[in-house]
Amino acid sequence: MRLFKTPNIRFMRYKYLALGITALIVLAGLLNVIFGKGIKLGVDFGEGTLIRVIFKTPVSVSDIRSELSAVGLGNSVIQETGKNGREFQIRTMEVIRTREGPELESHEKQANDVIAALRGDDGREEQAAGRLDLNGVERRALAGLLETQFPGQGEGLADRVISQRTSLGIYSDFGELSEAGLGSEASSFLKEKTYLGKLTVISRETVGPQVGKDLRRRATQAIIWSLIGMLIYIAFRFKLANGVSAIFTLTQDVLITLSIYSFTNREINLPIIAGLLTIVGFSINDTIVIFDRIRENQKTLRKMPLEEIMNLSLNQMLGRTFITSGTVFLTVLALFLFGGKVINDFAFIMLVGTIEGIYSTIYLSCPVVLFWQKLFKPRKGGRR
Amino acid sequence: MKKGIRWKLILTLGVTALAIFLFYPPKDKIKLGLDLKGGIHLVLQVVTDDAVNIETDTEIARLQEQLKKKNVVYKAIVKGDVGVFTIQGLGTDQEAILKNILDESFQEWDYSFIGETISLRMKDQAARYLKEQSVVQALETIRNRVDQFGVSEPLIQRQGMAGDRIVVELPGVEDPERVKNLIKTTAILEWKLVRAGPAPDEATLLAPFGGTVPEDAQVVKGDPKREAGFYLLDRVATVSGKDLRTVRRSVDEWNSPAVSFSLNPDGGRRFEKATAENIGKQIAIVLDNRVISAPRVESVIPAATGGIIRGRFTIEEAEDLVVVLKAGSLPAGIRYLEERTIGPSLGADSVRQGLISFLVAVVSVMTFMIFYYRLSGLNAIAALILNNIILFGALAYFRAALTLPGIAGIILSVGMAVDANVLIFERIKEEKALGKGILNSIATGFSRAFSAIFDSNLTTIISAIFLFQFGTGPIKGYATTLIIGLVANMFTAVFVSRLIFDLTVPKSAKRLSI
Repeated sequence: MRLFKTPNIRFMRYKYLALGITALIVLAGLLNVIFGKGIKLGVDFGEGTLIRVIFKTPVSVSDIRSELSAVGLGNSVIQETGKNGREFQIRTMEVIRTREGPELESHEKQANDVIAALRGDDGREEQAAGRLDLNGVERRALAGLLETQFPGQGEGLADRVISQRTSLGIYSDFGELSEAGLGSEASSFLKEKTYLGKLTVISRETVGPQVGKDLRRRATQAIIWSLIGMLIYIAFRFKLANGVSAIFTLTQDVLITLSIYSFTNREINLPIIAGLLTIVGFSINDTIVIFDRIRENQKTLRKMPLEEIMNLSLNQMLGRTFITSGTVFLTVLALFLFGGKVINDFAFIMLVGTIEGIYSTIYLSCPVVLFWQKLFKPRKGGRR
Repeated sequence: MKKGIRWKLILTLGVTALAIFLFYPPKDKIKLGLDLKGGIHLVLQVVTDDAVNIETDTEIARLQEQLKKKNVVYKAIVKGDVGVFTIQGLGTDQEAILKNILDESFQEWDYSFIGETISLRMKDQAARYLKEQSVVQALETIRNRVDQFGVSEPLIQRQGMAGDRIVVELPGVEDPERVKNLIKTTAILEWKLVRAGPAPDEATLLAPFGGTVPEDAQVVKGDPKREAGFYLLDRVATVSGKDLRTVRRSVDEWNSPAVSFSLNPDGGRRFEKATAENIGKQIAIVLDNRVISAPRVESVIPAATGGIIRGRFTIEEAEDLVVVLKAGSLPAGIRYLEERTIGPSLGADSVRQGLISFLVAVVSVMTFMIFYYRLSGLNAIAALILNNIILFGALAYFRAALTLPGIAGIILSVGMAVDANVLIFERIKEEKALGKGILNSIATGFSRAFSAIFDSNLTTIISAIFLFQFGTGPIKGYATTLIIGLVANMFTAVFVSRLIFDLTVPKSAKRLSI
């Protein structure tokens, strides 16, 4: 079975159109970055605090926003991350800049404010009465409490309660304790001595400006050095023209992907940089396969002009290009659909990059080589 | 069976067995990263200037003593920038004596005379040494504290080879505030005699002294959680944390949490003397320059007895105080630069979601390969499975932590691993279409496709290596799995796939299911 029987598409005929489309997308992205929404840097690069919470009962984004507005943090980015309206991700946007001093502490204070605002008065009475929050209590403290009523069993019971809490995320009622394998005696004891807090903070991340700057620098370095590394390798294995064209291709990969990304509400964090570099590596991989075939065809078909050889090679490799991108696309799609919120941005940029990679392989790498050859090789019948 | 094939088969089976041995059972052998296990990741900075400042203070005190001894007249000593101070208003004809003192016992300092002002600057080498020492000591102290606190498999190391940053990773710890305070506490504990106080503000406190602080005393605030107000204390401590022999958590006579201590012989004698001379007066217990309690001395405390520190502690606070007192004080302040807390439920979620997407990815790629390449697709699947086995074996061998981006790397390498097979199979089809025999097509397919496979895998590896070099924790995990996956791919897709064809396609084959 073959995807494309003997394709003979004259790819090279549309090279100017393709270059035009590329320019258009990159320009749109550039305008968006400069005048529009722009590229949003995430927590990894020292911008604000990211808090993930899970609520006992479903709440809405607008509820959360009004609670945060009351303490002057209404401009935080609030996103629902679970399907049942209970999991949210909140990112504070106020960035505190001071020249020197406790910058991280102010980020942290803000995060504490957010959590305090979300909690409101919840649990204040219970705590005053000396009851513990079963949705927040540490294993050791819980074991201590259980030990007073069930001597010798405190540790074991606490383990069960905590591991059930870990798999649920949060207890929404005491009935769920029986699923943890707790006897009715222990359940009713806990019901009496503890209460169920309204929410649990499942993660919070803050990167201070110093480390953020450092990570920005390192991300830039990683990108620049891998581009240089590839240029050298390709120039060494093929010709300089191929190396230059490869760099053009990957620059386009990065620019187009970032342009499209800038139109979404997603932020740039470290995994996105990893995604970009993978796209670059993967797209260059496609390009190399084409260059490899061109090199081989040049040996056997000496008479044919370069443009024709490129067309032939692109057609010969078309099946492979689509199949490989297809399998990678399938895996990335799985990650996008099932991988969860934490990795979702990464999966998204990989999806965009995989599709874009096919296009850049066909429509950028070859034309650039062609232009380079025309520019630096004297034409037949030329003056010299 | 041909001899060459037999050896190849043995090698393949050997590698498979070794890989399985390395990662089985995966629960124990595959290390999970902090983002999957839950825990706290902290990056902190040692304020190394503190160490220089403290040293400067000690040196100034030493200099003052010597100047007094030699009767050198001067107006004042003023501290400037870090590691810099000046002697002002030096009396006439005193230059030679001062020079003599400085040359003899202050060789760590550069000095210059400008009229009657002498400025001293700590030598770079000395300052560098002090800073370096403060980071090393801080690292050691934090390690001690974390060990005492009881965290399994903590990671505490300097970021980079030099520099003032320390990374602390504590898996499974849920209460970040407590840990942060535990690490950050400088933990300088002193007992100082109380001259006056507590008073609601400084002015009231100093009123009996004419509004100024006596030269050998200092004003110290009460720790807001424990003792309110301001105290006037002796500048010199009677005993300090360095004199402690043992500390443990205990309770006071009202059964509230406290810390009991005993002193070493020297400290004990000083304590005995001080209590004997000051019966009826208060002695303040000062932690990190905050009064935590100021008990009244009721009787002489004999050297061997030791005592108790009360301070309205909770059980946890008393426990933590014991930990920091045992582990010793920090040589310099600590500042947090980065902190990430991942709860155990988020980590568990990520593992589950990662596993689901991995399975979906593998199954869909396998289905596609069988659908498109028929029996040869099975060959690619065998190679893919072996690729993953090797990948997990290598992960276990290198003791590399599996992170969420690492799982993404594995999933991605599934997609990329079949690329090599696709290149080869497409080539075989082309060769067949040209009318070559089956065995010949297979041989040419593999040899022609190899350069493309090698080049393309290598470029991806190049970018992954730079990611590894510049990335942090989770990203390193991603680069690791991607690199291992691609290297293993060169073995499985080229070597093992070929072997499977050799084993399954008979010499006389007229058709190939591809």
